[in-house]
Amino acid sequence: MSGNREMVAPLLEISRLSVVLDKRHQRFKAVDDLSFRVFPGEILGLVGESGAGKSMTGSAILGLIEPPLSISSGEITFDGVRIDQDASSIRGSKISMIFQDPLVSLNPLRKIGDQLVEVIRTHINISKAEAFGRAKTLLAEVGIDPGRINAYPHTFSGGMRQRVVIALALAPEPALIIADEPTTALDVSVQAQILDLLKRLCRERGTSIILITHDMGVIAETTDRVAVLYAGRLAEIGKTSAVLKNPRHPYTKGLVAATPRIDANSFEKRLFQIPGAMPDLENIPKGCAFHPRCDFASTQCQKQQPPLFEDRSACWLSNEGSETS
Amino acid sequence: MHRFLQSDFFYSFRNAPVAVASFFVFAVIILAAVFANFIAPNNPFDPASLNLMNGFTPPLQSNEFTGDVFLLGADDQGRDLFSTILYGLRISLFVGIMAVMLAMVMGVVLGLIAGYLGGWLDTFIMRFADIQMTFPSILVAMLIYGVAKGVLPPDLRYEMSIAVLIISIGLSEWVPFARTVRGSTLVEKEKEYITAAKMIGLRKSQIMSRHILPNVLGPVLVIATITFALAIIAEATLSFLGVGVPTTKPSLGTLIRIGQDFLFSGEWWILLFPALTLLALALSINLFGDWLRDTLNPKLK
Amino acid sequence: MSYVVARELTKYFDLSDPWVVRKITGRKKQILTAVDGVSFSIKKGETYALVGESGSGKSTIAQMVSGLLRPSMGSVLIDGHDFHNNNIDGSSLRNMRQRIQMVFQSPYASLNPRWKVGDIILEPIRSFQLIADRQEQQKRVAELLDQVGLSPRDINKYPHEFSGGQRQRISIARALASQPEIIICDEPTSALDVSVQAQVLNLLKELQHEFLLTYLFISHDLAVISTMANTIGVLKNGQLVEEARGPVLLKNPRHDYTKMLLSSAPDIGSIKT
Repeated sequence: MSGNREMVAPLLEISRLSVVLDKRHQRFKAVDDLSFRVFPGEILGLVGESGAGKSMTGSAILGLIEPPLSISSGEITFDGVRIDQDASSIRGSKISMIFQDPLVSLNPLRKIGDQLVEVIRTHINISKAEAFGRAKTLLAEVGIDPGRINAYPHTFSGGMRQRVVIALALAPEPALIIADEPTTALDVSVQAQILDLLKRLCRERGTSIILITHDMGVIAETTDRVAVLYAGRLAEIGKTSAVLKNPRHPYTKGLVAATPRIDANSFEKRLFQIPGAMPDLENIPKGCAFHPRCDFASTQCQKQQPPLFEDRSACWLSNEGSETS
Repeated sequence: MHRFLQSDFFYSFRNAPVAVASFFVFAVIILAAVFANFIAPNNPFDPASLNLMNGFTPPLQSNEFTGDVFLLGADDQGRDLFSTILYGLRISLFVGIMAVMLAMVMGVVLGLIAGYLGGWLDTFIMRFADIQMTFPSILVAMLIYGVAKGVLPPDLRYEMSIAVLIISIGLSEWVPFARTVRGSTLVEKEKEYITAAKMIGLRKSQIMSRHILPNVLGPVLVIATITFALAIIAEATLSFLGVGVPTTKPSLGTLIRIGQDFLFSGEWWILLFPALTLLALALSINLFGDWLRDTLNPKLK
Repeated sequence: MSYVVARELTKYFDLSDPWVVRKITGRKKQILTAVDGVSFSIKKGETYALVGESGSGKSTIAQMVSGLLRPSMGSVLIDGHDFHNNNIDGSSLRNMRQRIQMVFQSPYASLNPRWKVGDIILEPIRSFQLIADRQEQQKRVAELLDQVGLSPRDINKYPHEFSGGQRQRISIARALASQPEIIICDEPTSALDVSVQAQVLNLLKELQHEFLLTYLFISHDLAVISTMANTIGVLKNGQLVEEARGPVLLKNPRHDYTKMLLSSAPDIGSIKT
């Protein structure tokens, strides 16, 4: 933990957020008692496997979840204002979102310039001509030739389209961008460019980014801090380098060890595998959600859900002060 | 069975008044037709039981000559209208079911072939379907019927008449089946389990029947329900026009035709009751089919 | 001994408009060269990985090697026999089909949702007529399920009752059913979570050692390929631009494209303290 961080007020504060799914014969928590903060000018990674609740969290922040899903408890505070009951004041203006598939994020029937101008003028009261000028600047900023402002989305490649989507997300001058798997559908070379672009935007504009992904490599290369989710709960959170190099939570350890590396020695080694699979959210084990798969589980782990220790790891073994090696 | 009663499908059924009501009406009519010989007071197709003097007896009134009372009145030949409707329903339902089955088999097979094999075969089948669809199905049915009548021997037996009716209606209704099945086939054939089937050397016919067919049958049930209603109406229409079932053993359509002649001379019941029955039948099937399609649709996606 | 040999594999796709349209609009014929003279060979018992981005031709090569797509030019030799030779008769073709099977990317689309798992795994056995006796068939299916880490009780279940990772295991069991010598793995773990991916990759490696299987492994993920490949071939726009033993290529890439791929790929190992 850097002492500096403590001084700065968080931009976004999620406090004990729970999202439930309420259907006829099912009721379970998709997100359970989740708390974390996002500070200005940082890239926070939200990593987890399918069903861990990371996309759900992103949607919840923006108030995009609909019945049968709903926020059952907790608070979301942005810049001091509570937004969990009503996110309309910040949605699309102070917080914007980027999704995975650029193909469906853009209206194929409208020129990109028109789409940009529409977003700009919705949030900033300027003339059409001025908005056009701003749109061109935005395109340049994301690495697209401003001369293409009157082009249609289908004339762009996948990576370029994602850049347009980023430009749209930047148009209202947000303080925070939530990017949900922004590069999963793209080729490797393009992926690197988009991630570099996001990093650059963060540094230059001070825009915070929540980067939601399942890819540990993306986390390693792009994020400042990372939150690891498991079965809708927070397992571990901290500086990316610390969490990946010295993971404290057994799940994080397992995840890091199971991730293949681009390395000449990889072939000789067997990948570590975490036994079993993430539980169905309807049948989360009592106590710590991970304990059935954990080599270090104790009786306490089976009975009580662990809180977050030292602002770092939700594991009873952290409490004992011993490093689980 | 227990699992069905607990399913989401049954739940939405229970909570949709339209579905329950239409299904109920339909079920009543079917049961009445099936058990016609137990319910009907007499057999209207047996000439020996008819008394011409009973002709034109109004409903629930004693006939001035014979003293017989008929629930819904008697028609021009003295047949008990209630019984005639019940027996006539049998014919309508029989023709309807057989025609739907014919249309279904033909449509599914052609749709599978067109979708899976593609190429000129697909083009040929689909263009033929397009052309057929530009004609109202009744005209198509009449055309086939006319050709059949011209080709077959003149002393037609009653059974031939029914068979020709079934074939002509069935052949006019295959296109929706084919189109839907073809669409689903096009989607399924790109999936990797089909590639896996090719890799173990299965022939095209085996792949189509074992792998694709089970996965494209979903929407077919819905189309079958709606086509069933259409077939019943088609049979009634053809009979009404005089090209369907002959008057000796009338179906609902024939009865309506007979009744129409007598409407303005005062014997209104001969038209009304068969017409109401036909309306109830067709409407209930249609409404149920609509509901079925709406309920199953999002899940199909 | 080179077990699988691809020689100058080439595939053209004709994307032209129909003749009439071309005459009217004056447009030219459009031929896409998906694969352009690709040659490689795989030793028995080893894994050859083809890595490339979208449009590189790797899927098309997989289809040609699997025998499902005819090359426009070039040939595929399995143990010396030309797979696409017009002169081979039905039984020889079936024999070849038995030796080479495939595991696919999508856990959802690779199993027929209307078939029971037991029947899915049994199908290759019946199609190739490997076991006639019903009881022996059941035993074999149970054995296969066990080999991939599933339970024989799963025979009567349907695919939707399983998770993505388990479905991939079922796919692998099906691929093993005909006792093949070669398995083409087409992005087998791209749709899986990290922890599940590790299980499936380890399983593939174990099976390779146990049954001396030869793998053609297709992927866009360099980290996965690092773990699995003896030899790596890099594809760009239908051409093989570089090929080397795994560790060699990863340490000392020669071609600029390979270097670019290696530097762009997000790697957990890149984390600096």
